[in-house]
Amino acid sequence: MSPPVPSDLGYVPPDGGWGWAVVFGASISVGFAYTFPKAFTIYFKELQAVYSISYSQIAWITSIMCATTYGGGPISSILVNRYGSRPVVMFGGLLCGTGMVSAAFCTSIMQLYICVGFITGLGLALNLQPSVIMIGKYFLKRRPIANGLAMAGSPVMLCTLAPLNQLLFDNYGWRGSFLILGAILLNCCVAGALFRPIGPGTASIKTQVPEEGKDALKQKVTEDAMEMSSPVNLPMKNKTEEEGERDCCEKINQYLDFSLFKHRGFLIYLIGNVLMFLGFFAPIIFLAPYAKHIGIDEYSAAFLLSILAIVDIVARPTTGIIANSKWVRPRIQYFFSFSIAFNGTCHLLCPLASSYTGLVVYSIFFGLAFGMVCAMLFETLMDLVGAARFTSAVGLVTIAECCTILLGPPIGGTLIDTFGDYKYMFIKCGVVMVLAGTFLFIMNYYNYRMLAKEEKERKAKEEDPKSVRTENEGRNNWIKETTQDGPELEPLREEQEGLKKEANGTSEV
Amino acid sequence: MKQSVIPIKLVIAGASITVLDSSKMGSYSCTLKGEQQLSGIFHLQVPKIERKEKPMISYIGDTAVMNCECPGYTATSWTWYMTNGSKQIAINESLLTDKYVISKKSANITQLKILKLAKEDDGEYWCEAAFGLGKSKGKLELKVLSYMAPLKPFLAIVVEVVVLIALVVSYEIYSKKVKRTEVEFWNLTSLSYSKSEDSGLESSRARQRRI
Repeated sequence: MSPPVPSDLGYVPPDGGWGWAVVFGASISVGFAYTFPKAFTIYFKELQAVYSISYSQIAWITSIMCATTYGGGPISSILVNRYGSRPVVMFGGLLCGTGMVSAAFCTSIMQLYICVGFITGLGLALNLQPSVIMIGKYFLKRRPIANGLAMAGSPVMLCTLAPLNQLLFDNYGWRGSFLILGAILLNCCVAGALFRPIGPGTASIKTQVPEEGKDALKQKVTEDAMEMSSPVNLPMKNKTEEEGERDCCEKINQYLDFSLFKHRGFLIYLIGNVLMFLGFFAPIIFLAPYAKHIGIDEYSAAFLLSILAIVDIVARPTTGIIANSKWVRPRIQYFFSFSIAFNGTCHLLCPLASSYTGLVVYSIFFGLAFGMVCAMLFETLMDLVGAARFTSAVGLVTIAECCTILLGPPIGGTLIDTFGDYKYMFIKCGVVMVLAGTFLFIMNYYNYRMLAKEEKERKAKEEDPKSVRTENEGRNNWIKETTQDGPELEPLREEQEGLKKEANGTSEV
Repeated sequence: MKQSVIPIKLVIAGASITVLDSSKMGSYSCTLKGEQQLSGIFHLQVPKIERKEKPMISYIGDTAVMNCECPGYTATSWTWYMTNGSKQIAINESLLTDKYVISKKSANITQLKILKLAKEDDGEYWCEAAFGLGKSKGKLELKVLSYMAPLKPFLAIVVEVVVLIALVVSYEIYSKKVKRTEVEFWNLTSLSYSKSEDSGLESSRARQRRI
């Protein structure tokens, strides 16, 4: 690995110490967010009988929950940008708990949709994104390991929540279980308490630092006609309309960074992942029904999922360690594309497995591939956009993924119903994922080359006289450049430098 | 059940009996005497109802919904019984329409809905399917709990959460205090050792450190 590069956060992350407590908290939050919808399906049969509704109507609960968890990403990002991770996670935990407790007293399915689906889903969204963001703030050199460990919380939580839900249901019925689940979800608040704020000196919020810089400049360059972005929180009475408009864009960008859509790496990641999620979750949902379809008994079919979960638990931290090694870390995007393509190949080969042993082998490889992809899901995004812009990036990515995540299983189900055969669903998932993996591989190859080129250009410019640089940097405020190692110069820092140089330039004039 | 294989040619010389009386249900055997003695035993019984092993749990004031299914066979009528002590009392829904609702969900599924549950409704329930040649029973257990039952674990977990949060926060405050005293100590020592040096730089850096 290259010599330590100052991170774009403005400080050097501890890479340990309290960071491990943050990883633990993050694994709890992530675990709840990903596994709660899956573990909730235990109550379906009972709720169907009580409310006299069909399976598809009851399945809407988990669909709404998933949709809110992923769709609430931007809201999470905005809140974290404004208030920091800790209050958001604690509020999310409270929201989850309240949602489930109120669900215990519901009398109609519509109320269940709102309480369990919407409120709990939103609470989980407020848990998921900030946890991942916090890891980026506490780790840099060991970030892949931290990410792998935090994401390992998901299968661990699944292994505990599923039997726990069954136990609660047997002892307390569905109403009592919802009440107790509400209390269990409050543990997300404990996870939130572990997220000690960390930042460069004064405010860790992006909004304040550029404000100070701008204030200082305003004092220097008051009569200048040069248009500069004005401080966000000052009263808008004496601003012209043009400045007011820019304010609005600036304001939105500071809460949710839409300029990411000009970022090459971000767009590559977005398109690749949106495509991948079309075939990501369907095989897990249909694995047990497929096993039963080819004649395997119910318990052995359920055991397949347990095998998957156990392999997953081991695969995620291991992938984190591999991704952190000096051979893989600079080329982590290739590793990610490879694991997606590997996952797709597993699905393509699944129809060849016609016996129980074949399915066990498939489950093992699927668990491995699934763990690899999940462990690196957020790490690669952090690697592309840098930890500072990750806050907004994760929100934008999750809301885009939301659509394909929700579409994937129903499309798979339709294929199964139309052809009466599970193999077309596996083929579809496999093809989609291999395509996504190949796309990411090729585009990241192109991206790495462009980054290397831009790095060379930047180094060349640094040796040039300063006057050329001030002009260029002023124009290059929002164009992103990343180094090959990952963390890139933050817009914040560049903007600051740019503004300072402009100020210097004008004062020299 | 012993399966008897009757070769096709013997079907021409077959025999049959029709059982019309439920008292005549049981095991029948038919024997063919000839060069070889062949016999088969038929066990006549009514279809069994699917039994639920686990009790159903509901709460006071809530509605309990119990389903009884006889897969593959249509019963002529269904009756629900409630166990009172050792006696089984048939549930007459016409008497208590706001308490019991019996409905036929489909050809082989019957449903008993008990509204406004009370502690006395706790116990065993039987659903009886009447067929032409007999009756078949299935048992369901209903447990009625009060809201206090899940409230205890709920409160226990809430207390645990509050205690953990308090621990985490107090540890944070404690470690901040320790850091602050450390920083002040080093500030003082650095100032006293190097008054002429650029100690301002050091202390400003220390101040900028997130506390």
